[in-house]
Amino acid sequence: MYGSLDISVSGLIAQRTRMQVIAANIANINTLEDAQGNYSPYLRRSVMFAPGDPAAKSPQGREMGVQVEQIKIESEALTRRLMPGHPYADKDGYVMVPDINPVVEQLNAMEASRAYEANIAAAEAAKAMMSQALRLLA
Amino acid sequence: MSIVGVTEWGGMGALEATIRFAGQRQRLIAHNIANISTPNFIQLDVSTSAFQKQLGEAIDRHRDNAGQGPLDLQPSDEVRPQPNGSFHLVPNTPSGNIAFQDRNNRDLERLMQDQSENVLVFRTAIDLFKSRSDMMRSALAQRI
Repeated sequence: MYGSLDISVSGLIAQRTRMQVIAANIANINTLEDAQGNYSPYLRRSVMFAPGDPAAKSPQGREMGVQVEQIKIESEALTRRLMPGHPYADKDGYVMVPDINPVVEQLNAMEASRAYEANIAAAEAAKAMMSQALRLLA
Repeated sequence: MSIVGVTEWGGMGALEATIRFAGQRQRLIAHNIANISTPNFIQLDVSTSAFQKQLGEAIDRHRDNAGQGPLDLQPSDEVRPQPNGSFHLVPNTPSGNIAFQDRNNRDLERLMQDQSENVLVFRTAIDLFKSRSDMMRSALAQRI
């Protein structure tokens, strides 16, 4: 039963990481330059989940749970927008801008936050069971 | 009642098996909830009715044996008792739900229901176990 808290914590960490990636996507929705000021439109990131958590403390937690396998940078996530006169516009007046849809990001954020709550509920249940079992000693 | 059968008195062996099973199953449920948005993940579960049948048969054998000796739980496909008294669970019961677009057959409502039922079973078994051990403690106190 002690492994089950590890498993729920791995779910919490994975969903929080997903939320951070979504926040970064939304924050960089209009980013066209990198930190050095060169033209480099922000590419949308997405998290990839996989079962198993190598960072867990217990052996049961390592074989179960969830982990962020990678944060994928979507190299094709750019779209053409007509902005004549823009410093980065091509000869037809188009600029390549990040292809980030705020509606999709909001939906993903909502799903991540609900999944986070579900993991909290699982952790609460495990805690309740542990405290019940410890009552046997009293 | 002899002192030898003290740990089996009042179905304490069966209660212990139920507590262990519910504790182990909680890990499976937590695993399913943690992987609620993992692509290609298939939910894992063990059949509770199969475990109850397994436990029922062990209790019947124990009764036939006039309540002597420990509860002898035979291994099944999914629940395999270990020498240290814990269970090795081999989850093999399909959830029966369809796979979503990411090939994950999650079903949050059923998961939450399973979890509540599991906690309830655990809690009930713990409470019964505690009442048996309190009874036994007061019985022993009378003798001293």
